[in-house]
Amino acid sequence: MRFVLTTHYGQDVNLFRHNGQRFWYALLAVSVVVAPLFLSTFYVGELVLVFIWAIAGIGLMLLVGYTGLVSLGHAAFLALGAYCHAVLLGYGVPFAVSAPVAVAFTALVGALVGIPALRMTGVYLAIATLAFERIVAYGIEHWEPVTGGLRGMSVPQPDFFGVSLADSYVLYYVSLGVLAAGLFAAANLLRSPTGRAFVAVRDSEISAESMGVHLARTKTTAFAVSAAFTGLAGVLLAHRIGYLAPDAFTVQTSIQLLLLVVVGGLGSLHGVVFGAIFVGYLPQVIALARDVLPSAVGQIPGLELGIFGLILALFLVFEPLGLYGRWLKIRSWLSLFPLYRKATHKRQKAYLRTERVQ
Amino acid sequence: MEVFQLLLSGLSQGCVYGLIALGFVMIYKATEMLNFAQGDMMMLGAFVAFTFVNLAGLPFFVGFLITLVVMVGFGMGLERTVIRPMIGEPPFAVLMLTIGLGFILRAVAGAIWGSGTRTLDVPFAGRVLEVGGVVLGYENLVVIGGTALLCIGLWAFFRYSRIGIAMQAASQNQLAAYYCGVPVKRVTSLVWGISAAISAAAGVLVAPVMLIDPMMGFLGIKAFAAAIVGGFGSLPGAIVGGLLIGVVEQFAGLYLPAGLGEVSAFVILLVMLMARPQGIFASMQQKKV
Amino acid sequence: MDSDQAALFEARNLSLSFGGVRAVRDVSFEIRRGEVFSIIGPNGAGKTTVFNLINRIYDADEGTMRFNGTEMSRVPGHRVAELGITRTFQNTELFDRATVLDNLLIGRHVHRRTNIVAEFLFLPTVRRQEIAFRSYAERIIDLLELQGSRDQMVGALPYGTRKIVEIARALCAEPELLLLDEPSSGLNPEETEDLSFWIEDISADLGVTIAMVEHDMNLVTAVSNRVMAMADGAAITTGTPAEVQDHPEVLRAYLGD
Ligand SMILES: Nc1ncnc2c1ncn2[C@@H]1O[C@H](COP(=O)(O)OP(=O)(O)O)[C@@H](O)[C@H]1O
Ligand SMILES: [Mg+2]
Repeated sequence: MRFVLTTHYGQDVNLFRHNGQRFWYALLAVSVVVAPLFLSTFYVGELVLVFIWAIAGIGLMLLVGYTGLVSLGHAAFLALGAYCHAVLLGYGVPFAVSAPVAVAFTALVGALVGIPALRMTGVYLAIATLAFERIVAYGIEHWEPVTGGLRGMSVPQPDFFGVSLADSYVLYYVSLGVLAAGLFAAANLLRSPTGRAFVAVRDSEISAESMGVHLARTKTTAFAVSAAFTGLAGVLLAHRIGYLAPDAFTVQTSIQLLLLVVVGGLGSLHGVVFGAIFVGYLPQVIALARDVLPSAVGQIPGLELGIFGLILALFLVFEPLGLYGRWLKIRSWLSLFPLYRKATHKRQKAYLRTERVQ
Repeated sequence: MEVFQLLLSGLSQGCVYGLIALGFVMIYKATEMLNFAQGDMMMLGAFVAFTFVNLAGLPFFVGFLITLVVMVGFGMGLERTVIRPMIGEPPFAVLMLTIGLGFILRAVAGAIWGSGTRTLDVPFAGRVLEVGGVVLGYENLVVIGGTALLCIGLWAFFRYSRIGIAMQAASQNQLAAYYCGVPVKRVTSLVWGISAAISAAAGVLVAPVMLIDPMMGFLGIKAFAAAIVGGFGSLPGAIVGGLLIGVVEQFAGLYLPAGLGEVSAFVILLVMLMARPQGIFASMQQKKV
Repeated sequence: MDSDQAALFEARNLSLSFGGVRAVRDVSFEIRRGEVFSIIGPNGAGKTTVFNLINRIYDADEGTMRFNGTEMSRVPGHRVAELGITRTFQNTELFDRATVLDNLLIGRHVHRRTNIVAEFLFLPTVRRQEIAFRSYAERIIDLLELQGSRDQMVGALPYGTRKIVEIARALCAEPELLLLDEPSSGLNPEETEDLSFWIEDISADLGVTIAMVEHDMNLVTAVSNRVMAMADGAAITTGTPAEVQDHPEVLRAYLGD
């Protein structure tokens, strides 16, 4: 355990509390920067997907993990970002314009979806977002002239001075840069008044309001910011998959995003990264397992989703703090050994929390 | 005359949404938990009935009754093993848990019964009733009649039986009910049991109309929309919301551009949320401090 | 009544019914600048509802409220803190999954001057503001002796500490009027004694006017300048603690007929 002697409040405000932390993050940064030198195109492509999951995950984490608003329809924002960007590129709009426009458009839609959230509890919101996702999917499937309908559309891959985002290595560094910037921006937001207002809304609306937090504005902001991050991930995803079709954005995608935030650890940005690695690699692990398992088991329809569901359930019941929470426990066990007590991380349950009039 | 047939199939489809919504709302009222696996419970019920009726060859009504009993047991078992440990966790966790459960149920059903579609053998399959030139399918009439009977039964149960009254008390104020000697835990368990059985009944009723397969639970999404449109927390509202969505869906499917029928439920929901968020039968209230 | 003591807050003929329950009926009172004003009365008398009305959680059916001379009967709930009124809740309403310090920083919310773009980039203005917020929060932490639990999650704290954290959070907004709803409920006698000193400190050192709902008559007598007694939604009488305690109707309200 390390005690940091705070000598000035400025230190409290910093992202990294001490040099040890800075060292480890720098090491991580160097290793992800040099990684592609040692990896084949395939693995670089897989890492790009992990980065994209993480960017979208930041968005959902801000909404679910920090503001306490549930969205079962985040795949729709991913799709809106991707399609908007690809369609604009198709009309010859330059990348530098189409990407920001796609993100802004997604943010705007996010703010609109957030409006029902202003007046209702989580129940309504969960179902409303699900409905929103279905309607967006319907729009994409049926607006053939623009989206290509069920056939899909290919994504124009513009090139910048001879490099193209179709190149996995280029996309790797672009996505990595976006992810790093996204994590930085999100961390900044969370140590500022707006981020704390999110947390306030999550934990107690009534006292948030009594402390001067404008509930409607805060929730709309949370939705818009969340949608913007997810839309940004959609922009990159469009380049990563090169061809957009409705089946890339389904209820399953929304659930995978939720799996990401739950498994990673609700209410932590570290969790986003852990969760993205998990969700990015899980399908491959399952695919490998299919080959090993007897075919009767390996061929079960819906096996992959079933396993998603099982993992989700196991985490919720046994490790609600997610992978990041588990890691913190392991770390404190190591640093406190042999003094660690089981009760150090005893779970806090809020009994009888109710939204209703008693 | 087409209008009558559309209305009839809309109503029967709406009954199914309504029944699933009913199960969903019952659980919410009793426990403030959202069970997103409600549609999958319906799917499971349909497969259980398929097993007893088609595979074991029992008479339809016997198979149906056994299915209800099995599903009450299933619901109670689920509550006891998976849901009860989650009491006190944030509502979001429970919601996610039930989403996970839904996926698990689908995979399990796929493993047991395969992913193909199945047809439940029902005594009234394919028969029609002709009234004044209008051809009415028996299957549709049975769904509507069955739902009506079920609703009357449930109403009587909540109104007159001791345990039904206890359930009502518990869903209004758990703590007060507990102090008044209502066995809240047992009641909660039973709520899950009954809710599972209602969903199963919906599954059996709808089976002749839409075939059984592990993915049929997706229909539950529309039932959730129905629950909100009706006014979340209101049992009659769940049925009314279901009927409304079922009927609109049929008409939208025929008269509006392709595929709009499919999303009409969600459009109604979003419109409702904007215009009258408390639903047709308002019943939600603000938290008191 | 001293007419030269200015009223900071003034309520005139407030009424509110919930369905058939007339929770508050025709209640008028004033809270004077700098005083400690207590509201007493049996459970269900409507005390919390009066606070909820001031806090704009409910719209009054009838009546008006003025704060610092401005009419506030219709301002939105989130503006009340900006006007200079913050509160605590009877059963505590804290941000459980945040640290004590973060709870207090949310208390500073009304004083934020930055926008979201600056916050994303954590521009120097945001950094300066954060540092200023923290130094204020630390002052309150020192005042209420919360140093020990500063970085702990609020959800994990003992009840007594939580109640103090809630007062600290309300103070961080630098209110002119602080509403305390049953601050001593659930506290042990020692904690209650600390509380009475703190209330005096808050009133004297920070110059905050205090209105509190309280059942503990020792505490009420020790700290209050004036007391209002309520029963069945109506104000029975207002006066010094001693006057109100001996008022026949107050005794009747507590003891029944
Ligand atoms: N949100 C509400 N809905 C319905 N009734 C309420 C509500 N808030 C308070 N009441 C009723 O108003 C009356 C006064 O309550 P309250 O102000 O909490 O009393 P107390 O003096 O104990 O603080 C009580 O009868 C209570 O049941
Ligand atoms: Mg009270």
